[in-house]
Amino acid sequence: MDKLVKLGQDIIQLWSKYWPMYMNGVKNTLILALVATAIGCVIGLICGILNTIPYTKNDSLPKRFLLKLIRVLVRIYVEVFRGTPMVLQAVFIVYGLPYFTDNALRFNNIWVAAILIVSINTGAYMAESVRGGIISIDPGQTEGAKAIGMTHVQTMTSVILPQALRNIMPQIGNNFIINVKDTSVMFIISFTEFFAAHRYIVGVNNMYFPSATIEMIGYLTMTLIASFLLRLVEKLMDGSDSYELVQADQLTMAAGTYSHPDKGTPFDERSKEYRDRTKLALKNRNGSTRGGR
Amino acid sequence: MSEMILQVNHLSKSFGSHEVLKDIDFTVAPGDVTSIIGASGSGKSTLLRCINLLETPTSGEILYHGENVAGRGVNAAAYRSHVGMVFQSFNLFNNMTVLENCMVGQVKVLKKSKEEARVHAMEYLEKVGMAPYINARPRQISGGQKQRVAIARALAMDPEVLLFDEPTSALDPEMVGEVLNVMQALAQEGMTMLVVTHEMAFARDVSNHVVYMNQGLICEEGTPEDVFGTPQKQETRDFLSRFRRN
Repeated sequence: MDKLVKLGQDIIQLWSKYWPMYMNGVKNTLILALVATAIGCVIGLICGILNTIPYTKNDSLPKRFLLKLIRVLVRIYVEVFRGTPMVLQAVFIVYGLPYFTDNALRFNNIWVAAILIVSINTGAYMAESVRGGIISIDPGQTEGAKAIGMTHVQTMTSVILPQALRNIMPQIGNNFIINVKDTSVMFIISFTEFFAAHRYIVGVNNMYFPSATIEMIGYLTMTLIASFLLRLVEKLMDGSDSYELVQADQLTMAAGTYSHPDKGTPFDERSKEYRDRTKLALKNRNGSTRGGR
Repeated sequence: MSEMILQVNHLSKSFGSHEVLKDIDFTVAPGDVTSIIGASGSGKSTLLRCINLLETPTSGEILYHGENVAGRGVNAAAYRSHVGMVFQSFNLFNNMTVLENCMVGQVKVLKKSKEEARVHAMEYLEKVGMAPYINARPRQISGGQKQRVAIARALAMDPEVLLFDEPTSALDPEMVGEVLNVMQALAQEGMTMLVVTHEMAFARDVSNHVVYMNQGLICEEGTPEDVFGTPQKQETRDFLSRFRRN
Protein backbone atom coordinates (compact mmCIF):
# COMPACT_ATOMS: atom_id res chain seq x y z
CA MET A 1 0.00 0.00 0.00
CA ASP A 2 2.76 2.41 0.92
CA LYS A 3 4.36 1.57 -2.44
CA LEU A 4 1.23 2.87 -4.18
CA VAL A 5 1.23 6.00 -2.03
CA LYS A 6 4.87 6.58 -2.93
CA LEU A 7 4.08 6.06 -6.63
CA GLY A 8 1.23 8.56 -6.36
CA GLN A 9 3.45 11.14 -4.74
CA ASP A 10 6.14 10.67 -7.38
CA ILE A 11 3.61 11.00 -10.17
CA ILE A 12 2.29 14.25 -8.69
CA GLN A 13 5.82 15.52 -8.32
CA LEU A 14 6.77 14.63 -11.89
CA TRP A 15 3.55 15.99 -13.35
CA SER A 16 3.78 19.33 -11.54
CA LYS A 17 7.35 19.75 -12.74
CA TYR A 18 7.13 18.44 -16.29
CA TRP A 19 3.46 18.74 -17.31
CA PRO A 20 4.15 21.21 -20.16
CA MET A 21 6.53 18.67 -21.65
CA TYR A 22 4.04 15.80 -21.30
CA MET A 23 1.22 17.88 -22.74
CA ASN A 24 3.38 18.99 -25.64
CA GLY A 25 4.09 15.29 -26.28
CA VAL A 26 0.38 14.51 -26.22
CA LYS A 27 -0.31 17.34 -28.64
CA ASN A 28 2.40 16.20 -31.08
CA THR A 29 1.29 12.57 -30.85
CA LEU A 30 -2.33 13.44 -31.56
CA ILE A 31 -1.54 15.78 -34.45
CA LEU A 32 0.81 13.25 -36.04
CA ALA A 33 -1.65 10.35 -35.59
CA LEU A 34 -4.60 12.36 -36.89
CA VAL A 35 -2.88 13.83 -39.96
CA ALA A 36 -1.11 10.58 -40.83
CA THR A 37 -4.31 8.53 -40.47
CA ALA A 38 -6.18 10.97 -42.69
CA ILE A 39 -3.50 10.94 -45.39
CA GLY A 40 -3.13 7.17 -45.00
CA CYS A 41 -6.85 6.74 -45.56
CA VAL A 42 -6.66 8.73 -48.77
CA ILE A 43 -3.71 6.63 -49.96
CA GLY A 44 -5.57 3.46 -48.97
CA LEU A 45 -8.73 4.62 -50.70
CA ILE A 46 -6.89 5.37 -53.93
CA CYS A 47 -5.06 2.02 -53.85
CA GLY A 48 -8.24 0.14 -52.96
CA ILE A 49 -10.19 1.75 -55.79
CA LEU A 50 -7.40 1.21 -58.33
CA ASN A 51 -7.23 -2.40 -57.23
CA THR A 52 -10.91 -3.06 -57.84
CA ILE A 53 -11.41 -1.52 -61.29
CA PRO A 54 -12.97 -4.40 -63.21
CA TYR A 55 -11.80 -5.36 -66.68
CA THR A 56 -13.25 -7.86 -69.11
CA LYS A 57 -11.88 -9.65 -72.12
CA ASN A 58 -13.69 -7.08 -74.27
CA ASP A 59 -11.44 -4.25 -73.06
CA SER A 60 -8.51 -3.15 -75.19
CA LEU A 61 -5.06 -4.63 -74.57
CA PRO A 62 -3.37 -1.41 -73.28
CA LYS A 63 -6.18 -0.89 -70.77
CA ARG A 64 -5.90 -4.43 -69.48
CA PHE A 65 -2.11 -4.17 -69.29
CA LEU A 66 -2.29 -0.87 -67.41
CA LEU A 67 -4.79 -2.21 -64.87
CA LYS A 68 -2.71 -5.32 -64.35
CA LEU A 69 0.43 -3.20 -63.84
CA ILE A 70 -1.35 -0.99 -61.29
CA ARG A 71 -2.43 -4.05 -59.35
CA VAL A 72 1.13 -5.40 -59.24
CA LEU A 73 2.56 -2.05 -58.08
CA VAL A 74 -0.06 -1.65 -55.35
CA ARG A 75 0.60 -5.21 -54.26
CA ILE A 76 4.35 -4.56 -53.94
CA TYR A 77 3.73 -1.32 -51.99
CA VAL A 78 1.35 -3.05 -49.59
CA GLU A 79 3.57 -6.06 -49.00
CA VAL A 80 6.77 -4.02 -48.44
CA PHE A 81 5.33 -1.45 -46.04
CA ARG A 82 3.07 -3.87 -44.22
CA GLY A 83 5.80 -6.42 -43.87
CA THR A 84 8.63 -4.30 -42.38
CA PRO A 85 8.77 -2.49 -39.01
CA MET A 86 7.97 1.21 -39.05
CA VAL A 87 11.14 1.97 -37.02
CA LEU A 88 13.32 0.58 -39.79
CA GLN A 89 11.33 2.38 -42.49
CA ALA A 90 11.91 5.62 -40.56
CA VAL A 91 15.63 4.90 -40.38
CA PHE A 92 15.87 4.09 -44.08
CA ILE A 93 13.91 7.15 -45.19
CA VAL A 94 15.41 9.73 -42.85
CA TYR A 95 19.02 8.50 -42.63
CA GLY A 96 19.22 6.26 -45.70
CA LEU A 97 18.09 8.82 -48.29
CA PRO A 98 20.78 11.44 -47.46
CA TYR A 99 23.39 8.67 -47.17
CA PHE A 100 22.69 7.17 -50.61
CA THR A 101 22.17 10.50 -52.39
CA ASP A 102 25.09 12.29 -50.76
CA ASN A 103 22.78 14.67 -48.91
CA ALA A 104 20.97 15.66 -52.12
CA LEU A 105 17.74 14.28 -50.68
CA ARG A 106 17.11 14.92 -47.00
CA PHE A 107 14.39 15.96 -44.63
CA ASN A 108 14.98 19.30 -43.00
CA ASN A 109 11.61 19.22 -41.31
CA ILE A 110 11.11 16.37 -38.88
CA TRP A 111 7.31 16.80 -39.06
CA VAL A 112 7.26 16.14 -42.81
CA ALA A 113 9.37 13.02 -42.37
CA ALA A 114 7.24 11.68 -39.50
CA ILE A 115 3.93 12.33 -41.26
CA LEU A 116 5.26 10.78 -44.47
CA ILE A 117 6.41 7.59 -42.78
CA VAL A 118 3.29 7.06 -40.69
CA SER A 119 0.90 7.84 -43.56
CA ILE A 120 2.65 5.52 -45.99
CA ASN A 121 2.39 2.81 -43.36
CA THR A 122 -1.27 3.46 -42.64
CA GLY A 123 -1.95 3.58 -46.38
CA ALA A 124 -0.54 0.08 -46.82
CA TYR A 125 -2.90 -1.30 -44.17
CA MET A 126 -5.85 0.75 -45.39
CA ALA A 127 -5.39 -0.37 -49.02
CA GLU A 128 -6.35 -3.88 -48.02
CA SER A 129 -9.15 -2.69 -45.73
CA VAL A 130 -10.66 -0.59 -48.52
CA ARG A 131 -10.38 -3.46 -50.99
CA GLY A 132 -12.14 -5.67 -48.46
CA GLY A 133 -14.78 -3.02 -47.88
CA ILE A 134 -15.47 -2.71 -51.59
CA ILE A 135 -15.68 -6.43 -52.32
CA SER A 136 -17.91 -6.94 -49.29
CA ILE A 137 -20.68 -4.86 -50.88
CA ASP A 138 -23.36 -7.04 -52.47
CA PRO A 139 -22.76 -7.28 -56.27
CA GLY A 140 -26.48 -6.52 -56.61
CA GLN A 141 -25.72 -2.92 -55.65
CA THR A 142 -23.35 -2.61 -58.62
CA GLU A 143 -25.86 -4.26 -60.92
CA GLY A 144 -28.64 -1.98 -59.73
CA ALA A 145 -26.47 1.05 -60.44
CA LYS A 146 -25.35 -0.23 -63.82
CA ALA A 147 -28.93 -1.06 -64.78
CA ILE A 148 -29.93 2.60 -64.54
CA GLY A 149 -27.01 3.55 -66.76
CA MET A 150 -24.36 4.65 -64.27
CA THR A 151 -20.72 4.47 -65.32
CA HIS A 152 -18.12 2.71 -63.16
CA VAL A 153 -17.02 6.00 -61.58
CA GLN A 154 -20.60 7.07 -60.81
CA THR A 155 -21.39 3.65 -59.36
CA MET A 156 -18.34 3.89 -57.14
CA THR A 157 -18.84 7.43 -55.87
CA SER A 158 -22.62 7.34 -55.38
CA VAL A 159 -23.32 3.78 -54.34
CA ILE A 160 -20.35 1.57 -53.47
CA LEU A 161 -17.90 3.86 -51.66
CA PRO A 162 -20.41 5.43 -49.25
CA GLN A 163 -21.38 1.91 -48.16
CA ALA A 164 -17.81 0.61 -48.17
CA LEU A 165 -16.64 3.61 -46.12
CA ARG A 166 -19.28 2.89 -43.52
CA ASN A 167 -18.07 -0.71 -43.36
CA ILE A 168 -14.40 0.22 -42.96
CA MET A 169 -15.03 2.87 -40.29
CA PRO A 170 -14.01 0.40 -37.54
CA GLN A 171 -10.79 -0.24 -39.49
CA ILE A 172 -10.06 3.48 -39.75
CA GLY A 173 -10.57 3.74 -35.99
CA ASN A 174 -8.31 0.77 -35.49
CA ASN A 175 -5.58 2.40 -37.52
CA PHE A 176 -5.93 5.69 -35.69
CA ILE A 177 -5.55 4.00 -32.32
CA ILE A 178 -2.60 1.97 -33.56
CA ASN A 179 -1.04 5.20 -34.84
CA VAL A 180 -1.51 6.97 -31.50
CA LYS A 181 0.55 4.22 -29.86
CA ASP A 182 2.98 3.34 -32.64
CA THR A 183 4.11 6.88 -33.33
CA SER A 184 6.19 6.29 -30.18
CA VAL A 185 8.82 4.66 -32.42
CA MET A 186 9.34 8.04 -34.08
CA PHE A 187 11.80 8.91 -31.27
CA ILE A 188 14.32 7.20 -33.57
CA ILE A 189 14.22 10.25 -35.84
CA SER A 190 14.08 12.48 -32.70
CA PHE A 191 10.46 13.43 -33.13
CA THR A 192 9.25 14.74 -29.75
CA GLU A 193 5.94 12.97 -29.19
CA PHE A 194 4.50 11.68 -25.92
CA PHE A 195 6.91 8.79 -25.47
CA ALA A 196 9.95 10.95 -26.33
CA ALA A 197 8.92 13.22 -23.47
CA HIS A 198 9.06 10.20 -21.15
CA ARG A 199 12.48 9.21 -22.45
CA TYR A 200 13.81 12.72 -21.86
CA ILE A 201 12.29 13.04 -18.39
CA VAL A 202 13.55 9.69 -17.08
CA GLY A 203 16.94 10.61 -18.53
CA VAL A 204 17.26 13.55 -16.14
CA ASN A 205 15.43 11.84 -13.24
CA ASN A 206 15.56 8.39 -11.78
CA MET A 207 11.77 8.04 -11.49
CA TYR A 208 11.18 5.54 -14.28
CA PHE A 209 7.97 3.85 -13.11
CA PRO A 210 6.08 6.98 -12.09
CA SER A 211 6.75 8.44 -15.54
CA ALA A 212 5.80 5.16 -17.24
CA THR A 213 2.55 5.20 -15.28
CA ILE A 214 1.81 8.69 -16.53
CA GLU A 215 2.47 7.43 -20.07
CA MET A 216 0.14 4.46 -19.57
CA ILE A 217 -2.67 6.64 -18.28
CA GLY A 218 -2.04 9.21 -21.01
CA TYR A 219 -2.16 6.71 -23.87
CA LEU A 220 -5.21 4.96 -22.46
CA THR A 221 -7.05 8.26 -22.09
CA MET A 222 -6.26 9.24 -25.68
CA THR A 223 -7.38 5.91 -27.13
CA LEU A 224 -10.53 5.70 -25.00
CA ILE A 225 -11.63 9.16 -26.13
CA ALA A 226 -10.83 8.19 -29.73
CA SER A 227 -12.92 5.00 -29.45
CA PHE A 228 -15.83 6.93 -28.02
CA LEU A 229 -15.72 9.55 -30.78
CA LEU A 230 -15.49 6.87 -33.46
CA ARG A 231 -18.58 5.09 -32.15
CA LEU A 232 -20.38 8.42 -32.26
CA VAL A 233 -19.35 8.99 -35.88
CA GLU A 234 -20.51 5.49 -36.84
CA LYS A 235 -23.88 6.11 -35.23
CA LEU A 236 -24.25 9.35 -37.15
CA MET A 237 -23.36 7.59 -40.41
CA ASP A 238 -26.04 4.96 -39.84
CA GLY A 239 -28.72 7.63 -39.68
CA SER A 240 -31.97 7.46 -37.84
CA ASP A 241 -33.55 4.12 -37.02
CA SER A 242 -37.03 5.45 -37.65
CA TYR A 243 -38.60 7.41 -40.47
CA GLU A 244 -41.57 9.72 -40.88
CA LEU A 245 -44.43 8.83 -43.17
CA VAL A 246 -45.18 11.67 -45.54
CA GLN A 247 -48.88 12.33 -45.77
CA ALA A 248 -48.83 13.61 -49.30
CA ASP A 249 -52.11 11.98 -50.23
CA GLN A 250 -54.79 11.38 -47.66
CA LEU A 251 -56.25 8.56 -49.76
CA THR A 252 -53.02 6.56 -49.74
CA MET A 253 -52.79 6.89 -46.00
CA ALA A 254 -56.39 5.84 -45.53
CA ALA A 255 -56.09 2.85 -47.85
CA GLY A 256 -58.29 -0.01 -46.73
CA THR A 257 -60.13 1.98 -44.08
CA TYR A 258 -63.19 2.89 -46.08
CA SER A 259 -65.33 1.01 -48.52
CA HIS A 260 -65.71 2.17 -52.06
CA PRO A 261 -69.24 2.84 -53.36
CA ASP A 262 -68.56 0.51 -56.29
CA LYS A 263 -67.87 -2.44 -54.03
CA GLY A 264 -69.80 -5.48 -55.13
CA THR A 265 -70.95 -3.93 -58.43
CA PRO A 266 -69.54 -4.84 -61.85
CA PHE A 267 -67.35 -1.73 -61.57
CA ASP A 268 -65.54 -3.10 -58.54
CA GLU A 269 -61.97 -3.86 -59.57
CA ARG A 270 -62.20 -7.14 -57.73
CA SER A 271 -65.23 -8.39 -59.65
CA LYS A 272 -64.85 -10.95 -62.37
CA GLU A 273 -66.73 -8.85 -64.87
CA TYR A 274 -64.22 -5.99 -64.47
CA ARG A 275 -61.28 -8.33 -64.96
CA ASP A 276 -62.79 -9.84 -68.07
CA ARG A 277 -63.36 -6.40 -69.50
CA THR A 278 -59.78 -5.34 -68.78
CA LYS A 279 -58.55 -8.51 -70.40
CA LEU A 280 -60.62 -7.84 -73.48
CA ALA A 281 -59.36 -4.26 -73.65
CA LEU A 282 -55.80 -5.49 -73.42
CA LYS A 283 -56.31 -8.06 -76.12
CA ASN A 284 -57.70 -5.42 -78.47
CA ARG A 285 -54.72 -3.20 -77.82
CA ASN A 286 -52.40 -6.09 -78.44
CA GLY A 287 -54.04 -6.80 -81.75
CA SER A 288 -53.23 -3.33 -82.98
CA THR A 289 -49.61 -3.15 -81.82
CA ARG A 290 -48.64 -6.57 -83.05
CA GLY A 291 -50.33 -6.15 -86.41
CA GLY A 292 -47.08 -5.49 -88.18
CA ARG A 293 -45.50 -8.84 -87.41
CA MET B 1 -42.61 -4.69 -90.51
CA SER B 2 -42.93 -2.13 -87.75
CA GLU B 3 -39.83 -0.69 -86.08
CA MET B 4 -38.49 -3.07 -83.46
CA ILE B 5 -37.00 -1.77 -80.21
CA LEU B 6 -34.95 -4.86 -79.60
CA GLN B 7 -33.92 -7.61 -81.94
CA VAL B 8 -31.89 -10.56 -80.69
CA ASN B 9 -30.09 -12.54 -83.39
CA HIS B 10 -28.39 -15.90 -82.90
CA LEU B 11 -27.54 -15.09 -79.28
CA SER B 12 -25.43 -17.68 -77.44
CA LYS B 13 -23.94 -17.63 -73.99
CA SER B 14 -21.67 -20.18 -72.35
CA PHE B 15 -20.29 -20.32 -68.85
CA GLY B 16 -17.16 -22.38 -69.42
CA SER B 17 -18.23 -25.46 -71.31
CA HIS B 18 -21.84 -25.15 -70.18
CA GLU B 19 -23.96 -23.64 -72.94
CA VAL B 20 -26.76 -21.72 -71.24
CA LEU B 21 -28.25 -20.01 -74.28
CA LYS B 22 -28.23 -21.61 -77.71
CA ASP B 23 -28.89 -19.52 -80.80
CA ILE B 24 -31.72 -17.38 -79.45
CA ASP B 25 -33.74 -15.23 -81.88
CA PHE B 26 -36.54 -12.97 -80.85
CA THR B 27 -37.83 -9.43 -81.15
CA VAL B 28 -39.54 -6.85 -78.99
CA ALA B 29 -41.88 -4.33 -80.64
CA PRO B 30 -43.10 -1.13 -78.96
CA GLY B 31 -45.96 -1.86 -76.59
CA ASP B 32 -45.22 -5.56 -76.34
CA VAL B 33 -45.65 -7.27 -73.01
CA THR B 34 -43.59 -10.43 -73.40
CA SER B 35 -43.50 -13.10 -70.71
CA ILE B 36 -40.60 -15.53 -70.69
CA ILE B 37 -41.55 -18.72 -68.88
CA GLY B 38 -39.73 -21.98 -68.33
CA ALA B 39 -38.23 -24.21 -65.68
CA SER B 40 -35.37 -23.01 -63.45
CA GLY B 41 -32.05 -23.23 -65.25
CA SER B 42 -33.57 -22.93 -68.71
CA GLY B 43 -31.67 -19.67 -69.36
CA LYS B 44 -34.49 -17.16 -68.90
CA SER B 45 -32.64 -14.89 -66.49
CA THR B 46 -29.38 -15.19 -68.43
CA LEU B 47 -31.19 -14.06 -71.57
CA LEU B 48 -32.54 -11.00 -69.74
CA ARG B 49 -29.13 -10.22 -68.24
CA CYS B 50 -27.53 -10.52 -71.69
CA ILE B 51 -30.08 -8.06 -73.08
CA ASN B 52 -29.07 -5.55 -70.40
CA LEU B 53 -25.36 -6.39 -70.97
CA LEU B 54 -24.90 -7.48 -67.36
CA GLU B 55 -23.58 -10.66 -68.98
CA THR B 56 -21.44 -10.49 -72.09
CA PRO B 57 -22.93 -12.73 -74.79
CA THR B 58 -20.52 -15.34 -76.18
CA SER B 59 -21.76 -14.77 -79.72
CA GLY B 60 -24.64 -13.26 -81.61
CA GLU B 61 -25.97 -9.74 -81.72
CA ILE B 62 -28.48 -7.61 -79.86
CA LEU B 63 -29.88 -4.82 -82.02
CA TYR B 64 -31.30 -1.79 -80.23
CA HIS B 65 -33.14 0.25 -82.86
CA GLY B 66 -31.04 -1.56 -85.44
CA GLU B 67 -27.70 -0.89 -83.75
CA ASN B 68 -25.65 -3.74 -82.34
CA VAL B 69 -24.93 -3.21 -78.65
CA ALA B 70 -23.26 -6.55 -77.96
CA GLY B 71 -19.97 -5.79 -79.71
CA ARG B 72 -16.80 -4.06 -78.58
CA GLY B 73 -16.54 -0.34 -78.00
CA VAL B 74 -20.23 0.10 -77.20
CA ASN B 75 -21.22 2.65 -74.55
CA ALA B 76 -23.00 0.16 -72.34
CA ALA B 77 -23.98 2.76 -69.74
CA ALA B 78 -25.77 4.96 -72.28
CA TYR B 79 -27.64 1.94 -73.68
CA ARG B 80 -28.65 0.74 -70.22
CA SER B 81 -30.16 4.11 -69.37
CA HIS B 82 -32.80 3.40 -72.05
CA VAL B 83 -33.47 -0.14 -70.86
CA GLY B 84 -34.69 -0.37 -67.28
CA MET B 85 -34.30 -3.46 -65.17
CA VAL B 86 -36.07 -4.75 -62.09
CA PHE B 87 -34.29 -7.49 -60.17
CA GLN B 88 -35.45 -10.45 -58.15
CA SER B 89 -33.43 -9.19 -55.17
CA PHE B 90 -34.58 -5.53 -55.61
CA ASN B 91 -31.02 -4.11 -55.44
CA LEU B 92 -32.12 -0.81 -53.98
CA PHE B 93 -29.19 1.36 -52.91
CA ASN B 94 -28.85 0.77 -49.18
CA ASN B 95 -27.14 4.09 -48.50
CA MET B 96 -30.05 6.14 -49.79
CA THR B 97 -33.67 6.80 -48.89
CA VAL B 98 -36.53 5.67 -51.10
CA LEU B 99 -36.72 9.09 -52.77
CA GLU B 100 -32.96 9.33 -53.30
CA ASN B 101 -33.00 5.89 -54.89
CA CYS B 102 -35.41 7.19 -57.52
CA MET B 103 -33.52 10.48 -58.01
CA VAL B 104 -29.87 9.44 -58.24
CA GLY B 105 -30.08 8.03 -61.76
CA GLN B 106 -31.89 11.07 -63.09
CA VAL B 107 -29.38 13.45 -61.52
CA LYS B 108 -26.17 11.55 -62.31
CA VAL B 109 -27.01 9.90 -65.63
CA LEU B 110 -29.69 12.13 -67.20
CA LYS B 111 -28.12 15.28 -65.66
CA LYS B 112 -31.46 16.65 -64.48
CA SER B 113 -31.67 19.22 -61.71
CA LYS B 114 -32.43 17.93 -58.21
CA GLU B 115 -35.83 19.63 -58.13
CA GLU B 116 -36.83 18.28 -61.54
CA ALA B 117 -35.71 14.78 -60.52
CA ARG B 118 -37.64 14.99 -57.27
CA VAL B 119 -40.90 15.93 -58.98
CA HIS B 120 -40.47 13.19 -61.57
CA ALA B 121 -39.56 10.59 -58.93
CA MET B 122 -42.57 11.53 -56.81
CA GLU B 123 -44.84 11.05 -59.81
CA TYR B 124 -43.81 7.40 -60.10
CA LEU B 125 -43.59 6.78 -56.37
CA GLU B 126 -47.21 7.91 -56.12
CA LYS B 127 -48.12 5.61 -58.97
CA VAL B 128 -46.68 2.58 -57.17
CA GLY B 129 -48.21 3.72 -53.88
CA MET B 130 -44.91 4.39 -52.10
CA ALA B 131 -45.19 8.18 -51.78
CA PRO B 132 -45.69 8.11 -47.99
CA TYR B 133 -42.45 6.18 -47.55
CA ILE B 134 -40.03 8.52 -49.36
CA ASN B 135 -37.92 9.07 -46.24
CA ALA B 136 -37.58 5.40 -45.37
CA ARG B 137 -34.40 3.44 -46.06
CA PRO B 138 -34.53 0.12 -47.92
CA ARG B 139 -33.83 -1.85 -44.74
CA GLN B 140 -36.95 -0.39 -43.14
CA ILE B 141 -39.57 -1.47 -45.70
CA SER B 142 -41.01 -4.82 -46.73
CA GLY B 143 -40.06 -6.87 -49.78
CA GLY B 144 -43.14 -5.93 -51.76
CA GLN B 145 -42.56 -2.27 -50.98
CA LYS B 146 -38.91 -2.55 -52.01
CA GLN B 147 -39.90 -4.05 -55.32
CA ARG B 148 -42.42 -1.28 -55.96
CA VAL B 149 -39.71 1.29 -55.23
CA ALA B 150 -37.38 -0.59 -57.59
CA ILE B 151 -40.03 -0.35 -60.31
CA ALA B 152 -40.43 3.38 -59.63
CA ARG B 153 -36.64 3.80 -59.79
CA ALA B 154 -36.52 2.11 -63.19
CA LEU B 155 -39.53 4.09 -64.46
CA ALA B 156 -38.07 7.42 -63.32
CA MET B 157 -35.37 6.98 -65.98
CA ASP B 158 -38.12 7.00 -68.65
CA PRO B 159 -36.88 3.76 -70.22
CA GLU B 160 -38.13 2.48 -73.54
CA VAL B 161 -38.24 -1.11 -72.37
CA LEU B 162 -38.51 -2.43 -68.86
CA LEU B 163 -36.96 -5.81 -68.06
CA PHE B 164 -38.28 -7.75 -65.08
CA ASP B 165 -36.13 -10.59 -63.74
CA GLU B 166 -38.47 -12.74 -61.66
CA PRO B 167 -39.80 -9.68 -59.80
CA THR B 168 -42.05 -11.64 -57.45
CA SER B 169 -39.92 -14.72 -56.75
CA ALA B 170 -38.35 -13.35 -53.56
CA LEU B 171 -41.65 -12.15 -52.12
CA ASP B 172 -44.08 -13.59 -49.62
CA PRO B 173 -47.29 -14.78 -51.29
CA GLU B 174 -49.34 -11.90 -49.89
CA MET B 175 -46.92 -9.34 -51.33
CA VAL B 176 -46.88 -10.82 -54.82
CA GLY B 177 -50.26 -9.26 -55.55
CA GLU B 178 -49.22 -5.67 -54.91
CA VAL B 179 -46.26 -5.94 -57.28
CA LEU B 180 -48.28 -7.71 -59.99
CA ASN B 181 -50.95 -5.01 -59.74
CA VAL B 182 -48.36 -2.35 -60.46
CA MET B 183 -47.02 -4.36 -63.40
CA GLN B 184 -50.51 -4.90 -64.77
CA ALA B 185 -51.21 -1.17 -64.55
CA LEU B 186 -47.98 -0.48 -66.48
CA ALA B 187 -48.95 -2.98 -69.16
CA GLN B 188 -52.32 -1.32 -69.56
CA GLU B 189 -50.61 2.03 -70.08
CA GLY B 190 -48.68 0.60 -73.00
CA MET B 191 -45.24 0.20 -71.41
CA THR B 192 -43.01 -2.19 -73.34
CA MET B 193 -42.13 -4.96 -70.93
CA LEU B 194 -40.08 -8.13 -70.95
CA VAL B 195 -40.92 -10.27 -67.96
CA VAL B 196 -39.21 -13.42 -66.76
CA THR B 197 -41.77 -14.95 -64.45
CA HIS B 198 -43.12 -18.00 -62.71
CA GLU B 199 -46.53 -16.35 -62.35
CA MET B 200 -48.49 -18.20 -65.02
CA ALA B 201 -51.61 -16.12 -64.37
CA PHE B 202 -49.66 -12.97 -65.19
CA ALA B 203 -48.19 -14.50 -68.35
CA ARG B 204 -51.63 -15.67 -69.48
CA ASP B 205 -53.75 -12.65 -68.58
CA VAL B 206 -51.51 -9.62 -68.90
CA SER B 207 -48.90 -10.34 -71.56
CA ASN B 208 -49.63 -10.46 -75.27
CA HIS B 209 -46.67 -12.63 -76.16
CA VAL B 210 -45.36 -15.68 -74.36
CA VAL B 211 -41.98 -17.31 -74.85
CA TYR B 212 -41.41 -20.77 -73.40
CA MET B 213 -37.74 -21.60 -72.89
CA ASN B 214 -36.35 -25.05 -72.31
CA GLN B 215 -32.66 -25.95 -71.91
CA GLY B 216 -31.33 -22.76 -73.45
CA LEU B 217 -33.63 -22.83 -76.47
CA ILE B 218 -36.84 -21.03 -77.29
CA CYS B 219 -39.10 -24.05 -77.41
CA GLU B 220 -42.34 -22.36 -78.28
CA GLU B 221 -43.64 -18.81 -78.57
CA GLY B 222 -46.85 -17.09 -79.52
CA THR B 223 -49.89 -15.41 -78.07
CA PRO B 224 -50.97 -16.52 -74.59
CA GLU B 225 -54.00 -18.21 -76.16
CA ASP B 226 -51.77 -20.31 -78.41
CA VAL B 227 -49.14 -21.25 -75.83
CA PHE B 228 -51.50 -21.87 -72.93
CA GLY B 229 -54.54 -23.03 -74.92
CA THR B 230 -53.08 -25.17 -77.68
CA PRO B 231 -49.41 -25.83 -76.96
CA GLN B 232 -47.76 -27.49 -79.97
CA LYS B 233 -44.75 -29.14 -78.33
CA GLN B 234 -44.77 -31.97 -75.83
CA GLU B 235 -42.25 -30.15 -73.56
CA THR B 236 -44.56 -27.14 -73.32
CA ARG B 237 -47.52 -29.36 -72.47
CA ASP B 238 -45.48 -31.13 -69.77
CA PHE B 239 -44.31 -27.84 -68.29
CA LEU B 240 -47.76 -26.27 -68.26
CA SER B 241 -49.45 -29.34 -66.82
CA ARG B 242 -47.51 -28.72 -63.61
CA PHE B 243 -49.37 -25.46 -63.12
CA ARG B 244 -52.89 -26.78 -63.77
CA ARG B 245 -54.14 -27.00 -60.24
CA ASN B 246 -57.58 -25.49 -60.36
